[in-house]
Amino acid sequence: MENIKHHLKIINQFFEIEKKLAALNGAESAQRNVERIKSYFEEMGYQIHNPLGESYSETRTDCEASIAGASAENLYINEVIKPIVRYLQEGQPQIVQKGVVITRSR
Amino acid sequence: MTVNFGIDLGTTNSVIARYDQGVVEVFKNPIGHKETLPSVVAFRGGRIIVGDKAREYMEKDPRNVFGSFKRKMGTSESFWVESITDTKTPVELSALVLKELKNFIYTGEALDAAVVTIPASFDTVQSNATRQAGHDAGFTEVFLLQEPIAASLAYVNKTSQEQVDQQWLVYDLGGGTFDVALVKTEHGEMRILDHQGDNFLGGVDFDNLIIEKIIVPYLKTRASFGDLEKELRSSSGRYNNLYYILLKKAEEAKVNLSSQTSTDIEFEIETPEGQLLDIFFPITRDQFEMCIREKILETVAMIRAILERNGLTSQQLACILMVGGSTYIPLVRQLVELELGIPISTTVDPTTAVAVGAAYFAGTKKRSVVQQAPAIDVHRNLKVKSGYSKVTQDKEEYFLAQVEGDWKGLYYRIIRTDGGFDTGLREVTERFTEYLPLAANMNNNFELKIFDSQNSLVFQDNTINIVNGKYGIMGQPLPHDICIEVDDPENNATKLEIVFSKNSLLPLKKTLTKEISKTIRKGSDDGVIINVLEGNHTASPLSNLSIGIIEVKGKELTVDLVKGSDIEIVLEMSESRDLRITTYLMMSDQEFTNLFNPSVRHVSLGKLRDDLVMLQRALDEETRGAVEREDYELSQQLNDLRITAVTLTREIDRLPEDDVTDTKYQLEDKKKMVSSRFDELTKDKKKLRAKTEYFLTRKWSQRLLDEHGTEAEKKEFANLVSNEKKLMASDSALMIESVTKQIEKIASHIRWRTPEHIIRIYYHYASLDDEYTDPEKARKLKEKGDQALERKNYEELKVIINQLYSLLPPQEQKRVDIKGTGIV
Repeated sequence: MENIKHHLKIINQFFEIEKKLAALNGAESAQRNVERIKSYFEEMGYQIHNPLGESYSETRTDCEASIAGASAENLYINEVIKPIVRYLQEGQPQIVQKGVVITRSR
Repeated sequence: MTVNFGIDLGTTNSVIARYDQGVVEVFKNPIGHKETLPSVVAFRGGRIIVGDKAREYMEKDPRNVFGSFKRKMGTSESFWVESITDTKTPVELSALVLKELKNFIYTGEALDAAVVTIPASFDTVQSNATRQAGHDAGFTEVFLLQEPIAASLAYVNKTSQEQVDQQWLVYDLGGGTFDVALVKTEHGEMRILDHQGDNFLGGVDFDNLIIEKIIVPYLKTRASFGDLEKELRSSSGRYNNLYYILLKKAEEAKVNLSSQTSTDIEFEIETPEGQLLDIFFPITRDQFEMCIREKILETVAMIRAILERNGLTSQQLACILMVGGSTYIPLVRQLVELELGIPISTTVDPTTAVAVGAAYFAGTKKRSVVQQAPAIDVHRNLKVKSGYSKVTQDKEEYFLAQVEGDWKGLYYRIIRTDGGFDTGLREVTERFTEYLPLAANMNNNFELKIFDSQNSLVFQDNTINIVNGKYGIMGQPLPHDICIEVDDPENNATKLEIVFSKNSLLPLKKTLTKEISKTIRKGSDDGVIINVLEGNHTASPLSNLSIGIIEVKGKELTVDLVKGSDIEIVLEMSESRDLRITTYLMMSDQEFTNLFNPSVRHVSLGKLRDDLVMLQRALDEETRGAVEREDYELSQQLNDLRITAVTLTREIDRLPEDDVTDTKYQLEDKKKMVSSRFDELTKDKKKLRAKTEYFLTRKWSQRLLDEHGTEAEKKEFANLVSNEKKLMASDSALMIESVTKQIEKIASHIRWRTPEHIIRIYYHYASLDDEYTDPEKARKLKEKGDQALERKNYEELKVIINQLYSLLPPQEQKRVDIKGTGIV
């Protein structure tokens, strides 16, 4: 479990870098390294999921959400601070980090 | 029989703990694995949701989501719930929180009696209301305990204090509330003398202060944002989204500053002019402390008022017991101690202390009524038939359940076992439906549970499995393994590495990172070969069918490729089995891509020639062996194959590189036939050799493990040999050899820890005199080695062995007969 905690810290930093690269012009060449790091994490048993743009409701327990705006209906995820991370334990995925997200009404 | 369960039914958060033979365990939420459950209840879409999810909606849906109802306990006030057009009392809401806590008990024990804590300020009516909530939650017996007493019990049990008459303060600063109580022990009895509190003071206020006093002023120095505070806090404000991001960042900074003296805040903001600012600045602990100092002094003032009311001086108090998550903040501890001159105690876990103390109390409280409720109520004769598609490519699956038996007044709940979905509690009807969201490309396992009105389990189904994305209509399983050929320098040959296993479902994609096995000069004829083959991964590369090959020659390189540099290979196979190979050379930053259609064969003459050289060499070796064993029939068969291989090589040599006929395809087929026949003839012998080697290695490794192995090594070894039966029954000598090598690796690690082995190796190196490149240095090292041996310093001896080894002339490189693939 201690190892997973350390790995999650690295995954979150990696996720930040990925977001920043996506916003930069001319950073396409670094995308290869991003994909490679992702595949290394997958080999280690981690699945990293960015839920940006997905629908959100009270039944989603894979994210911790803050609801922006005035309405709490028909929500979607419009900002992701931390990604959802699953870890394969004995072949079964378990969420080891909930996504930290901001949601808004569509 | 004792009660054992203790519950902190808090204003903001609740916690459940259990006493068992002197030890208290705090239970965790099965979803999210947190010890605390927010005391918030939501009624949304026909569901009852308690905890984190409910809290998320509290601010934005106040007509259906309720928190802090504990403050209204024992009043006539009730809450109008718009979605169910009905009212709920604080007692009913508290009962829902207590029922939810039952789900935390992973042991499956029935919770029908508990100690529930109440604030020191609760009067009789409020206390009785709490007891009623416990009864409504299905507890036959409810014992109440004041929160400061509970925290004190946790403290006393942790410190194993002797019974002496004294008094102390319990300082409880949580996420949203503050309470302080004066506790006295007299003749072994503990009671509360006085208390005071503020229902709107806690950690959340500190987060807001970070935004208000540090972040906003900083932003104003970077650009003009107009009325930034309003734009942040207003739900229609331009920066309302950012406000919630900042709350998260502020909370993170607050936590970091409890252990560090500085932390960084990082986010992006767009100015009203549309310019994107990348904000990154440090916040120091000093800055944070300046913000919250005033709030903490307010708590100190309350304590002073208590002391004054009770005519006490600081010296008359033993300590201040710190409880509540916000007491992790160093300034809270320092300031309270400094201002009041009373030592503080941080012995107990501030978040769970109240529940832990309640559990200790529960461990001493005898049950008057013992009711053994069955784990599953069998009297209702419930039968649930469920309908859903077991395999889908959709993101969610329609789930239908039909219920037979006495289902009235029951509630169901469906949870995805990875922790990503929870329906909350919904009333059971004869037929009910849910859309179950699916995590992509995996098996999604769901649990359906049905509860009675007191949240006791009456039905459970753990077998709802829905696979997402795996079996598309267009998808098909691979008929053979797909492998990549890599060099095997140890055996001066090449070998196969599996990329996609037989029966994997298409489409497939995998990225491999390999190393260049030899330096390839720019402009040379040398190169690397990415050869993808289809067949059996345990067979020799020569027996498999090449389905895609990329050759990167030195002539195409922009710089030399140094041995050891990385090469990235992406293999993608579509549903119609087109193979795309993309190769990226890190050193030269060059990419090569090719799409191979299964209907088009690709044969490289150079590779074919190289394969045949390897085949001839293996045939030679095996023929010699057969002659030595006087197995003349086999040697004759092998020799015939060797002649065919030589003939094929000659034919290839005569063929121009750009030959347009189909001769090369015919030659490749013939080579495959020779190789398959060779595999067939020598298979049994190779297997026998591999098996013998395996059992020998296993035997001596086992002995070493028994004497010197660590638990981890023993476990690793046990894992390797656990499939021995299957391994021996397999047709693959290569697999047996691979396991043997892994066992050898473990044994080698162990041996290097044993003095006997180190001494033996040292003596071997010490006996070499003339071989060293620097004999004088070697002599001095041997002197040091002898001394280390005398002192029995084996770690030093190991270092000396390494140094001696480095003084030996480089070993003559094995002559590489084959070109190989250039990758390992």
